Amino acid sequence: MSATAVAAPAVHSLWTTAAAAPIHAPKIEYAQLSPILVVLGAAVAGILVEAFVPRRARYGTQLAVTLIGLAGAFAAVVGLAATGYATTKADLAAMGSIAVDGPSLFLQGTLILVTAVGVLAIAERGLEPQSREVPHVDAFAPQAAAVPGSEDEKAAARAGWSTTEVFPLTLFALSGMLVFPAAGDLLTLFIGLEILSLPLYLMCALARRRRLLSQESAVKYFLLGAFASAFFLFGTALLYGYAGTLDLGGIAKVVTGDAAPNAALNASAHGDALLLIGGAMIVMGLLFKVGAVPFHAWTPDVYQGAPTPITGFMAAATKVAAFGALLRLLYVALPEMRWDWRPVMWGVAILTMALGAIVAVTQTDVKRMLAYSSIAHAGFLLTGVIAGNKQGVSAVLFYLAAYSFVTLGAFAVVTLVRDAGGEATHLSRWDGLGRRSPLVAVTFALFLLAFAGIPLTSGFSGKFAVFSAAAKGGAVPLVVVGVLCSAVAAFFYVRVIVRMFFAEPRADGPSVAVPSALTGTAIAVGAAATLVLGVFPQWAFDLADKASVFIR
Amino acid sequence: MNPVNYVYLAALLFTIGAAGVLIRRNAIVVFMCVELMLNACNLAFVTFARMHGGLDGQIVAFFTMVVAAAEVVVGLAIIVSVFRTRHSASVDDANLMKL
Amino acid sequence: MNSLLGLLIAAPLLGAAVLLLGGRFVDRVAPVLGSALAGLSFVLGAILFSNLLGKPASGRAIDSDLFTWMHVGTFKADAAFHLDQLSMTFVLLITGVGTLIHIYSIGYMAHDEKRRKFFGYLNLFLAAMLILVLADNYLLLYVGWEGVGLASYLLIGFWQHKPSAATAAKKAFLVNRVGDIGLAVAVFLMFTTFGTFTFQGILHPSVVSSAGQGKATALGLVLLLAACGKSAQVPLQSWLGDAMEGPTPVSALIHAATMVTAGVYLITRSSAIFNAAPTAQLAVVCVGAVTLLFGAIVGCAKDDIKKALAGSTMSQIGYMILAAGLGPIGYVFAIMHLVTHGFFKAGLFLGAGSIMHAREDEVDMRKYGGLWKKMPWTFATFGLGYLAIIGFPGLSGFFSKDKIIEAAFAKGGTEGWILGGAALLGAAITAYYMSRIMVMTFFGKPRYTTKAEGGTSPEAHESPAVMVAPMVVLAVGSVFAGGFFSLGSRFLHWLEPVTGHSEGHSPVSTGVLTAATIVLMLLGMGLAWFQYGMREVPAAAPRSIWPVRLARRDLGQDDFNHAVFVRGGTRFADGLAEFDAKGVDGAVRGVAGAVGGGSSRLRKLQNGYVRSYAFSMFGGAVLIVAATLFMRAV
Repeated sequence: MSATAVAAPAVHSLWTTAAAAPIHAPKIEYAQLSPILVVLGAAVAGILVEAFVPRRARYGTQLAVTLIGLAGAFAAVVGLAATGYATTKADLAAMGSIAVDGPSLFLQGTLILVTAVGVLAIAERGLEPQSREVPHVDAFAPQAAAVPGSEDEKAAARAGWSTTEVFPLTLFALSGMLVFPAAGDLLTLFIGLEILSLPLYLMCALARRRRLLSQESAVKYFLLGAFASAFFLFGTALLYGYAGTLDLGGIAKVVTGDAAPNAALNASAHGDALLLIGGAMIVMGLLFKVGAVPFHAWTPDVYQGAPTPITGFMAAATKVAAFGALLRLLYVALPEMRWDWRPVMWGVAILTMALGAIVAVTQTDVKRMLAYSSIAHAGFLLTGVIAGNKQGVSAVLFYLAAYSFVTLGAFAVVTLVRDAGGEATHLSRWDGLGRRSPLVAVTFALFLLAFAGIPLTSGFSGKFAVFSAAAKGGAVPLVVVGVLCSAVAAFFYVRVIVRMFFAEPRADGPSVAVPSALTGTAIAVGAAATLVLGVFPQWAFDLADKASVFIR
Repeated sequence: MNPVNYVYLAALLFTIGAAGVLIRRNAIVVFMCVELMLNACNLAFVTFARMHGGLDGQIVAFFTMVVAAAEVVVGLAIIVSVFRTRHSASVDDANLMKL
Repeated sequence: MNSLLGLLIAAPLLGAAVLLLGGRFVDRVAPVLGSALAGLSFVLGAILFSNLLGKPASGRAIDSDLFTWMHVGTFKADAAFHLDQLSMTFVLLITGVGTLIHIYSIGYMAHDEKRRKFFGYLNLFLAAMLILVLADNYLLLYVGWEGVGLASYLLIGFWQHKPSAATAAKKAFLVNRVGDIGLAVAVFLMFTTFGTFTFQGILHPSVVSSAGQGKATALGLVLLLAACGKSAQVPLQSWLGDAMEGPTPVSALIHAATMVTAGVYLITRSSAIFNAAPTAQLAVVCVGAVTLLFGAIVGCAKDDIKKALAGSTMSQIGYMILAAGLGPIGYVFAIMHLVTHGFFKAGLFLGAGSIMHAREDEVDMRKYGGLWKKMPWTFATFGLGYLAIIGFPGLSGFFSKDKIIEAAFAKGGTEGWILGGAALLGAAITAYYMSRIMVMTFFGKPRYTTKAEGGTSPEAHESPAVMVAPMVVLAVGSVFAGGFFSLGSRFLHWLEPVTGHSEGHSPVSTGVLTAATIVLMLLGMGLAWFQYGMREVPAAAPRSIWPVRLARRDLGQDDFNHAVFVRGGTRFADGLAEFDAKGVDGAVRGVAGAVGGGSSRLRKLQNGYVRSYAFSMFGGAVLIVAATLFMRAV
């Protein structure tokens, strides 16, 4: 939203005399917005499929529409990047609302790939026990509106219904995520936040098994998310009050003094307070999304309760989008405020790393453990954000790409280990898994080693990059804390590996379901990305480095 | 009247909403408190728009209303389905997952 | 051509991957596949060789950058290969002799159940060695270096069901680690000193001299430590004799084509560093001279044919190290001796293997005798190898060893006399112990009774053609390689652009030296004949005077190591263990307990109530706002 420079007295006359003035249609660069538009289009098409395609054919049609949409969007991103929009032709599109630049395109490409892999796991229908009448069962409730355990639900299950709405919901969430890190003004940022959040709240509630937990996680996520959004919005209001514009670049200009803040407000000496409180509240809204302490409390409960494929998607993609937005906000709108926000962010980063790593030590549920691990990783990423230099941006971009694939792969593996009650997520049930299913155990061990940051995995490359960027940016104590927390974190990752390979298998232990090609591909892609980014990280570093300049 | 007073009012409303979220148990009421916070934001936006003499803030208010409406749709869907399952709308009853 | 270079390494690497991961499906094709890929590698090497020959002498190099391994800040490591005359020589030796040994193994390992793994390891060995000699920087060289160590560990311990083989593998690995530390330290030093790992960036006289003599000497010494480990030089020689526990083709591979040559390669490759560090060079020649005598003396006392040959290898490598330590007057001859030695030592080991094959793995030479009639091919090829190694005029060893002796004298001064004298003495002892092996094995009466005669030994027989053929090829090399290389100083001109060369001026004329060498050689042969040919060889080793007993015990190398390192190390380790148990473990347990306790307490914050989560968020928001305002206030 560009600042509409209208003089104060003219405001009242606007709705009385506007008819006389010519109205200029906004200029929309459709080509530059095409990744977002393609995804949104596919999502709308998915809604239409839901309405008009017979129930039997919906799954296949939805999957096809989703994957085609994602492929188209990815092609659009690559096309834009190839024609130089990531570097030389980087520009603000749609009247300054959407920034088409290196970080945007890098993160959008990552998000689309992550979603594509996530959709493969979401589309899996071969893991639940099947009957002759209902040959395909997915991870989602047959009818989300039916009360758990009721006759309605049983009838829906017998009829073989399934919640194919997850596909368009995923696409809507993705479209919000594509907007989020690319937003050029605060309003677009808010809209992106809401578009990505609302579908996720719903998707959390859709689990087929353990629906009470699933619904509880949705309630918690929704209430806390809405609460955080309110803070975010109030912060937006205060920043708008300070700068008189919603443009990130415009705010930066007012902060540096290139443009004048509101004279009346300045006179009352509240100007700086508005800026500081507003900035802090917006940052808080974003920190909620990335799961940083003290705004992390939703993470373990939601990760545990949500259907596992959704958890994987959410954990990977939300983090990418939210860190992208955080980077843009701090580097484009508030770079001159560095001396104000850096100490606070130091504290947040240290708390996040320490709490995530320490509390994970005593977790007994795989999904909760991975949730705390994701909190710790948010802390590691924050050290890269705090670096405050170009190297920090590229390191965070790389880390996000690397981390998201590891996360997707790890949660996809979690869906495979099952017993009669569904997924066997209690850690004690994983004892001796390596003896019964060596391949699954080795793959999971690979992901855990990557989380722990062991060399030759992508986790190491990423951690090395953010820590060296932070050290270069003068945050050496932070790096020391980060390394210590990594050591603590390595303990609980390795403990799981030890349990899988050296503990005696339990007689009543879970079985490992044989996945269809969908989940198989998802895990394979995750593992391949983990190894490739660990052994040959250079090309990705180069790519992230090229893409690390924000347009203002 | 000095328009800054409206900002103070907005802050007050926001705080009341936040306090409601923290102390009320009924999920619907908690949610309404969140809506109150959003409306406090709207008031602040409109006030600032008036002070700056721009239209941006007013436009944001409209967007916020739409977002709030969408949030109501999603939120009520979730809260109602939980209520049907548990026969309770108290957020304190939903604590199966902890530690 | 660049892609051929990658392919050259990829072929054995692929073989290793297929054979080791392929499972039972490739069991039947394993020997042929392994040998074919080694052969392919040799053919590629030959093509590259002809390509190099087509280029002018100064520009004979091929570079191949595969990919940037890692690039962080100023730290840049490439997976890049560099082929020049020096590495080309090694490539041909490794792949050529390696292929012959593969082929030989088809026969030798025909009845072994694990031969798929065996050929996989052999291929891995070749690949690692090729990476070592083709790397264009020290970091990648280190990768190959460790790969060689791994492959040798796997192969020496191949018959791990024998405790002695398992122990020998462990010993080789441990002793090699000591050397590896040297190389690791060298790599670190290079990076801190020069900021790069590449040969191109380091190995230039002006670059090395800019680092100062102290740095160059330090680098030279740690590189020498590394070379001692891989090349079994004093004081890290003790693994070589025990490594004979591996299957005999492995011994041939380790001793002739790979592994022990790595140290010589390292020193020759790093010539720019050694040239700038006379102290390090002195250390190198001392190690070489001591080892050449040490190995020769040990070789004299061993009754185990393979261990006697192992002593001989140690001694011959000592010659090469000595030559390499002499600087530009010696580099070329070190490598030339390395190549000729590759031929005859591989031939000798394969011959020994052939004998063991015929005698059901009997290695005690006192239980041999009169085998020449039973195994004419083995006798002929082994005999030619024997004549070559003792430096019989006209054969390979004559040309290459003579040059080293000459160069040692050319060092000049007292040093020259001492080194030359040691080299001459070594030549005499070589003639003695090799003649001893020859006589005890092939001549005299058989000192065993076959089953037909009511004894326990099988009737000796000649080995199958697949084993004989490689021996014949190697024998041809043993005979002609030296002459071919020396004719018109061919080898000198080939290698000179890489290693540099300067003519030494020996205080003793070449003619006199040659004559002295021949006389000493004849003396050694005569003594051996007198001792073992004229008299009956007792079936059990007689109790001898203490020097012989000492030599039989490898001059006390293991006793020394045990007394100094093992016992001292055990005591040190016990002390550390106690400190670890009480101090470190206590601290670790304390920290772990604190983390665990903190974790249990902190997780209670996650009480499951939305409202308390919201409260923590609200509190966090208030804190952040307050902190931001506070930061502005101060």
